[in-house]
Amino acid sequence: MTGRNGWARFVGFKVLRLVSLLVGVSVLSFILMQFSPVDPIEAYIGGDMIRVSAEQRSLIEERWGMNESPTERLLTWGQALIQGDLGTSMIYRQPVADIIQERFMNSVALMAVAWLLSGIFGFALGVVAAMRRNSKLDRLICWYCYTLASTPVFWIALLLLMVFGVWLGWLPVGLGVPAGMSADQVTWGDRAIHMILPALTLSLTGVASIALHTRQKLTDVLESDYILFARARGERGFQLFRRHGFRHVVLPAITLQFASFSELFGGAVLAEQVFSYPGLGQATVQAGLRGDVPLLLGLVMCSAIFVFTGNMVADILYRMIDPRMKEELMS
Amino acid sequence: MGRFSWRRGKRKGRTGLGILLVCSIGLSGCAQGTAPTASSTENGQPGTTPTKDELVLAVGTEPEGGFDPTTGWGQYGSPLFQSTLLKRDAKLQLVNDLATTYSVSEDGLEWTVTLRDDVKFSDGEPLTAEDVKFTFETAAKSGSVIDLTNMADVKAPDDRTVVFTLKSPQSTFISLLTTLGIVPEHAYGADYAEHPVGSGPYKLVQWDKGQQAIVEANEEYYGSKSAFHKLTFLYLDEDAAFAAAQAGTVDIAAIPAAFSKQQVNGMTLEAVKTVDNRGIMFPMQPAGAKSGDGLPAGNDVTSDLAIRQAVNVVIDRKALVEGVLEGYGRPAYSVSDDLPWSNAEAVFMDASLEEAKQILAAGGWVDADGDGIVEKNGVKAEFNLLYFAGDLTRQSLALATADMVAQAGIKINVEGKSREETKKMAYSNAVLFGWGSHDPLETYNLYSSTHKGEGYYNVGLYSNPVVDSWMDKALQATSEEEALPFWQKAEWDGTTGFSYQGDAPWAWLVNIDHLYLVTNGLNIGEQQIHPHGHGWPVTTNLEEWSWDNSTK
Repeated sequence: MTGRNGWARFVGFKVLRLVSLLVGVSVLSFILMQFSPVDPIEAYIGGDMIRVSAEQRSLIEERWGMNESPTERLLTWGQALIQGDLGTSMIYRQPVADIIQERFMNSVALMAVAWLLSGIFGFALGVVAAMRRNSKLDRLICWYCYTLASTPVFWIALLLLMVFGVWLGWLPVGLGVPAGMSADQVTWGDRAIHMILPALTLSLTGVASIALHTRQKLTDVLESDYILFARARGERGFQLFRRHGFRHVVLPAITLQFASFSELFGGAVLAEQVFSYPGLGQATVQAGLRGDVPLLLGLVMCSAIFVFTGNMVADILYRMIDPRMKEELMS
Repeated sequence: MGRFSWRRGKRKGRTGLGILLVCSIGLSGCAQGTAPTASSTENGQPGTTPTKDELVLAVGTEPEGGFDPTTGWGQYGSPLFQSTLLKRDAKLQLVNDLATTYSVSEDGLEWTVTLRDDVKFSDGEPLTAEDVKFTFETAAKSGSVIDLTNMADVKAPDDRTVVFTLKSPQSTFISLLTTLGIVPEHAYGADYAEHPVGSGPYKLVQWDKGQQAIVEANEEYYGSKSAFHKLTFLYLDEDAAFAAAQAGTVDIAAIPAAFSKQQVNGMTLEAVKTVDNRGIMFPMQPAGAKSGDGLPAGNDVTSDLAIRQAVNVVIDRKALVEGVLEGYGRPAYSVSDDLPWSNAEAVFMDASLEEAKQILAAGGWVDADGDGIVEKNGVKAEFNLLYFAGDLTRQSLALATADMVAQAGIKINVEGKSREETKKMAYSNAVLFGWGSHDPLETYNLYSSTHKGEGYYNVGLYSNPVVDSWMDKALQATSEEEALPFWQKAEWDGTTGFSYQGDAPWAWLVNIDHLYLVTNGLNIGEQQIHPHGHGWPVTTNLEEWSWDNSTK
């Protein structure tokens, strides 16, 4: 069997799994929403409910298809989906696809930056901690990571906002573009400056788990026989790590990195709330709190694809990097 | 071993970084929200530097559905980009806006409005009666919070006249004439919500969703010219808005009461009077009743008049304002204090423990077993008071009230519940609610027995035929002036009513002030009494804002 067939089968299975994942996730989310005590009509009407008559309420229900049975609604939604129509959001009164499209690029940019930063720093800190095990540096890094892992994202966001936005005044307090500036005058520099605090927030919290896991994995590696042999030959420090430790710890590190996609999404939701950063996070919170089913299902599927892609990339990289797995695939 | 000397340097570098991190976290742990130092100038952020004819505002949440009046934009506060047929001035009196006159037929079913003839939309096209007809028809079909179910028809017999035909007389229909902004028929399409064209004092220039809206003065506007050419509305949440105020990047920020004690350099705290009230709703039927949906309703304790009146009179509302609202509020004696349809006679002397005890004694409530709680016919004077969990103000009000009421011998068990749970339990337990609207329809729905028990309407199942008949007369009146005395009689007509002196179906507690941090020198004009909610209504009189030259 040639390599190409192997890859084709691999990708084929992945696609199949993706489809079944999406179906499962959508149905589950829909069922959860049905059990949610939030009444979407009430959440939509909000404070005006004392002035809205029962007749108007049933008009609203009809308009948004709420008067059909849950199974009917799920089937209607599924049918529309197959034809490429994600439905219309009740809150934003826009097609769901438009909403996701608009906000997706912003979120992706933010998450990409945070992901890279947290990956690089997390890996570096984890490696240093493991190489200098039980030293003061190691303890400092562990302490730092445990503290960060225990703090909520929005708390760190508020902290950074206070320090850099208010006291020092170096960075803007929110938004994705400068206040009051017309769109054609906004430069990439402006966008970058506004992304700094949210990206920093997300990276700080992401660093912790990656660093600690890397530290643990590298510690395990350092206890193996070939490391002992290398030490006996006089190798130390960075050279030891580069020649013998790195390759063994890079696979777990990659797994972790790509697995952290899901955390990233969750953290992005909170960071965006605090900084009024225009991303998918805001939309998700509103959809959940106000029972906007089409939007929530669209977002849930979007995040499922996102996380799935992350894991799939990790799988592919594994097969490419690890010669043992490559041979398995080829044979 | 010493092969890579930079290794040690790297360690030093890492240690240094670590210490720096520790310090910054430690520093931020100290000192709570101090005022910005002199280094941060008033508008020291990168980007545009607002001049005197530009303002940056952080006063409300974003309208997610966009700026389309037919789907609800402008119902809260004013629509800004569009104009309405009528509006309310600072004293909440009706004033003409697009309309020059309006009249209602004898039977209250036909409303005729005559329009001004010099109005242009921001794209230069004239506003005609066809646009008004189109607006109302579109709003009726939009399936939004705009309730036009009572409107049978709307016609535009000529360019300057609009005729509305209602299904049943409703004097409160006037609220729709004061809140529904008129959209242009020729410029209305699927993306109107993002690119609104209107005849209001301002026009939308740019909307960065989830972040800000940039707005400019509309040159075609027929009314008074605003002092400000450009406004930027920032959609920040409460903490971020306060941070922005501290950083000096906004000229006005709506802040929650929790931040009211903190000083911000260069800004003053304005407390605006509101009708954003909080009050206790009592179930009016004895236990064993059923709500509209068949849920258990009624409460043997709160259905007793003596109990309700005793609770009302023993509460010290001024103390609640001082203690819970830090002084930013005023006592509430009805759902519509100081509004045109409110009856000033409904105000009464509270904070009287003596009187409460007398009322209870006269009502047959005696403390027979000496446990501090009065009883009557074997029923202890004890009931639950529910509030929406997570709302600190409501929790504090409920607890403080329970304390005060306990002195009279009535035991209140305060419980925080979610909104959904509260809704189910509201028919048989007292609940701390908050209302307050510029529409007397709210009063009708709270006290009328017609739709009692449906949704949030008259949850206490209050029923008084005299009150019902006064309120029906109010609805059938052909003008608001005619209706006002009827609303007031429904509250108290000398014999009965829904006020404390009458049936006391509610114990209204306080009206909460809305707080804004305003840059020194910015004059926000005379504010209306704000309705329930927060933030946006401060912009209703934006055209009147100006700089006080003396202080700036």
